[in-house]
Amino acid sequence: MRRAGGGARTGRRARAARDTAVTGTTDTGTATDSGPAAARAAEADAGPAAARTAEADTGTGAARTTDPPRTHRPATGIRLEGVTVAYGGNTVLDSLDLTVGPGEFMALLGPSGSGKTTALRAVAGFVRPASGRVFLGDRDVTDLPPHRRGVGMVVQQYALFPHMRVDANVAFGLRARRTPRAETAARVAEALETTGMAAYARRYPRELSGGQQQRVAIARALAVRPDVLLLDEPLSALDARLRSGMLAELARLHRELPGVSMLYVTHDQVEALTLADRVAVMDRARLQDCGTPHDLYRRPRTAFTASFVGDANLLPVTVAAGGGVEFAGTVLDVPVPASAAPGASATLCVRPHLVGLGDGPNVLRGTLAELRWRGATHRLYVEVGGHRVEADVRELRETPPPGTEVSLHFAARDAVLLPAGAGEDEGGAADGRRRAG
Amino acid sequence: MGAAGRGSGERGAGRRWVLALPPVLVLGLVFLYPLALVVQQSVSPDGGGHSVAAYGQVFAESAFRGALRNTVLIAVGATVGALLLGFALALVVAFVPFPGGKALSRFIDVFLSFPSFLITLALLFVYGTAGMANGLWTGATGAAEGPFDFLHTPWGVLLAEVTYFTPFVMRPLLAAFSQVETAQLEAAASLGAKAPRIVRKVILPEALPALAAGGSLVLVMCLNEFGIVLFTGAKGVTTLPTLVYGKAILDGDYPGACVVAVVDIALSVALYGLYRVLSSRAAPAAPSSRPSRPSRSPRTDGVRRARA
Amino acid sequence: MLVHSRRARVCVWAAFLVVFLPVFALPFLVIVAASFATGWSGALPSGPTLGHYRDAVRGDALDALVTSLLTAAAASALALALGTWAALSAHALRGRARRAMDLLFMLPVAVPSVVVGLSLLVAFSRPPVLLNGTRAIVVLAHTVLVTAFAYRSVTAAVTRLDPAYEQAAASLGASPPYVLWRVRLPLLLPSLSAAAGLCFALSMGELSATMMLYPPDWLPLPVKVFAATDRGALFSGAALAVVLMVTTLLALSAVARIRTKATYR
Repeated sequence: MRRAGGGARTGRRARAARDTAVTGTTDTGTATDSGPAAARAAEADAGPAAARTAEADTGTGAARTTDPPRTHRPATGIRLEGVTVAYGGNTVLDSLDLTVGPGEFMALLGPSGSGKTTALRAVAGFVRPASGRVFLGDRDVTDLPPHRRGVGMVVQQYALFPHMRVDANVAFGLRARRTPRAETAARVAEALETTGMAAYARRYPRELSGGQQQRVAIARALAVRPDVLLLDEPLSALDARLRSGMLAELARLHRELPGVSMLYVTHDQVEALTLADRVAVMDRARLQDCGTPHDLYRRPRTAFTASFVGDANLLPVTVAAGGGVEFAGTVLDVPVPASAAPGASATLCVRPHLVGLGDGPNVLRGTLAELRWRGATHRLYVEVGGHRVEADVRELRETPPPGTEVSLHFAARDAVLLPAGAGEDEGGAADGRRRAG
Repeated sequence: MGAAGRGSGERGAGRRWVLALPPVLVLGLVFLYPLALVVQQSVSPDGGGHSVAAYGQVFAESAFRGALRNTVLIAVGATVGALLLGFALALVVAFVPFPGGKALSRFIDVFLSFPSFLITLALLFVYGTAGMANGLWTGATGAAEGPFDFLHTPWGVLLAEVTYFTPFVMRPLLAAFSQVETAQLEAAASLGAKAPRIVRKVILPEALPALAAGGSLVLVMCLNEFGIVLFTGAKGVTTLPTLVYGKAILDGDYPGACVVAVVDIALSVALYGLYRVLSSRAAPAAPSSRPSRPSRSPRTDGVRRARA
Repeated sequence: MLVHSRRARVCVWAAFLVVFLPVFALPFLVIVAASFATGWSGALPSGPTLGHYRDAVRGDALDALVTSLLTAAAASALALALGTWAALSAHALRGRARRAMDLLFMLPVAVPSVVVGLSLLVAFSRPPVLLNGTRAIVVLAHTVLVTAFAYRSVTAAVTRLDPAYEQAAASLGASPPYVLWRVRLPLLLPSLSAAAGLCFALSMGELSATMMLYPPDWLPLPVKVFAATDRGALFSGAALAVVLMVTTLLALSAVARIRTKATYR
């Protein structure tokens, strides 16, 4: 899709012109965004994408040889609109709406079979949606084959070409675009430098460790300077120690490449919460929730999010007439949205570490069923009105024996009221309604 | 699944069949078209027009009926022999391992790459009228002639075919045996089962698909075998392939040769169909047509096997 | 291990060797021994000579060897190209279309080689294409007969090839032809060379269709071996057979070397 020669030059001129022209225009794709990516998003979007589409239509060459330096290059976001994917009669992705702002790091978090990898493959072009559109910037790529989309991709099993040395692997994308030799060499060196693999340029993949292979795979994807980097469980084949190292590496890459939008598929909440600007939680082929890690953790929108991202007490409650909710005969003072009618059932979410032992606001009285020592904390399992409530408290000097009557409390602002049965059918259009930050 | 590419799922199979056209056309021109002409010629007598008279004529010939009988009997006999011998030998190679077993499997591969008529040539030196066996006999007994004089009979062809085709049975069997877990055998042995019982109860069921597939392949190859029969050089042993050769090249009777060829094709293709059915059952279940993340399946397969 | 006592094991091995050696190893030894002899009327051949080999590497016999080598090289190259193309394009197909391709390309295995020879004779002895009596028709017959084996080997290899490689290449901007040339074919190289070796060996030993088709000036080695034994010259036939076997083995081991190199690169 990158065009060389005259095409590239005019493309560049057009791009430069548009860069100034489009500043301040609103793009529908990013309007729903806020947070760290929003500012970058507002800068530019339509321009480069349109210019590139025009390039793609013109020439036969390949290289984007005259790229402006990376820092000035406007970024491209990802937008999925109602993307549905089905194999036979089996829907593996159900009407996904998702926007990744330019330069944003978005994690797709979910259990296996939740459709997150399918979503990523739809962006890469390996899966054709039954309905819906995929945009990169303003360019509708739904019908483009993978090699014309210009996204970088890193997969779990690395997929390094075993018959090529490391440098040839990294140069592959550039050679496929017929980048001039000198520039290819420079960019390969740069990509290997960025990933700390410069010393291994002449090795074959089989001579590298798993972590090194993954770095090469990242270098290979970065060498073509994609606007969009797709990462499909890139750390899951590594052992725990390597994984935490690579986690820091990826965070650094994201900082150093502010123009690259990243879509990161994982089933590991730690990876998602540490790395991502925003996290999209998926379950059973649907988007359940989307927001900043902090927001998802503190204010989950669905019971699924609450339980998948961190631990949660999910208590069935009824909205009380005079405000607050009723749980096991006790009225609790928690914020209730105006939309909730008195008498309606709902689910109350409180994180165990925000539940304290002893009296305070919102007291729950019950019987201590079990107590587990976890080093710095004790976890208490308390039977309250037939429900088990978990509380993580700082390590106790003296532990009450099971069967003791205890009181638990939590602050009103630490509780989140979720619609009853939340997570069952909701969340398809969560993205966009939710405000990050 | 033919429409999968159009609706959704893995990126389209849209116009991929266009790429398949050139090889199909080439093979059609050099293989299917000539075969069609053979069939056409078999119903077109030299005088012109169409008739199945040639069939009646050929079927009436005793030479044809003899060749048909010979072909089927020799093929069935050789297949049975190769199956028995191949099973026994593969059993030893797989379960009573001995030093040099690897070299032996390589030898089998080499054996498979040699033409069949070499076996007949070798048998001529071993059992021929002036060969090794008869030479030993005359040397030992002082008789004028040795007792071995079967090479130019159907038995000679049978011996050569059993010899040549046994490795074709052994190879799939060895592959199947490598799937039998030693733990399973050891468990059976620890329960007090004797070797013959283990073979019958544990190994044989495991090997049956491979035996069936290998057996039907060998049957097809025996039916089609030409070199071994030709080298035997016996007038009394005619099979369908040599009859085709004789009619076409020696007698110049093309319509007759085509009739025999059509019968031969029908026989072989029917058996080959059987082989395909059996071998597709012998093969592990085909990968599902949903190609979501194929790289993962070997791993889960491994786990499944390990747990089994 | 099925047989536990050492004694029983030795018995099984002995029985194995008693069957295996005479039946499978002996034929080749006998041919090699006979190729150095002028007579065989006792336990061992008599009249040691190198004469058969002197004859086998000059004149007609040498022509026959060269003919066989050229035919095998041409036929396996053509079959490899055709079979690889067919296997790759069939792999991209789904369902019924793919099964039809499989059936079509495996069918030459089922049809007797003699009949393949006859059909080519019938088809190309008449206009529009007259090939009867040319060298091309021999090469053509060999190609038809070995294509199925090339197709089968390459199909098996393509199925085993992890699609992650080509997808990674495509995501890097490589067009399908580029991916084929720079990624898929190099990764298939070991299997392709194995297929080439198999095709070459099969073509070297092909007799049935060749007997139907060969023109007087293009007489492959197996036909020469048959001609020698048919006129009773068994011992020079044995020498020719040894030349055939050795050439086949050399070709196979050369191919195996390429394969190892491609695998461990």
